[in-house]
Amino acid sequence: MFLGRVTGSVWSTVKWPAAKGLKLLLVRPYRLADLPPTVAGPPTGGDSLDDLVVCADVFDAGPGDDVLVAFGHAARVAVAGALAPGQKPDAPIDAAVVAVVDRVELDGERGARR
Amino acid sequence: MIRGTIIGSVWATRQAAGLAGRKLVLVAARDADGRASGRVVVAIDTLDAGAGDDVTVAFGSGARNVLAPGPDNRALLCDAAVAAIVEGAA
Repeated sequence: MFLGRVTGSVWSTVKWPAAKGLKLLLVRPYRLADLPPTVAGPPTGGDSLDDLVVCADVFDAGPGDDVLVAFGHAARVAVAGALAPGQKPDAPIDAAVVAVVDRVELDGERGARR
Repeated sequence: MIRGTIIGSVWATRQAAGLAGRKLVLVAARDADGRASGRVVVAIDTLDAGAGDDVTVAFGSGARNVLAPGPDNRALLCDAAVAAIVEGAA
């Protein structure tokens, strides 16, 4: 998993049927230099070339939210609850929001509260 | 797996049911020289690791095996877990 800030969303008409109805968000991962999170702005990405991550979202997160994103099978487990009854979590999804972050604590100190 | 240092923790109320009760820690990854690489991952911690602890983090099915060993753990929502608290490295 990683901690990131939602910066936008993407949508498409042509996609795998199993992925229909899934909202896709753009999330920028926090780098060490970006912590603690501030309400003021998204992480800059520092000097990294880390890509934005496109991830499915069933928690109604939006731009400016800090989220946890899981990869792989854990991502499909997270979205399974939002799929139609009987539909298996076999959508071509490998990243998904698993939590909308309330608070980040650094070194035991209370960090930014969202 | 990666090696890193625990720098904090994350709290959320709007979260997947599979994360209920899990302790989530922020881990600053180390590079080949042992210094912070800048990359930060979030891992489930079942070993009661604390801030400043040097740990290894397993990903994927290896992470699920930390929570519940065996082939029947695919329903677990876990893609990263603290696998060990490091005491020494050479």
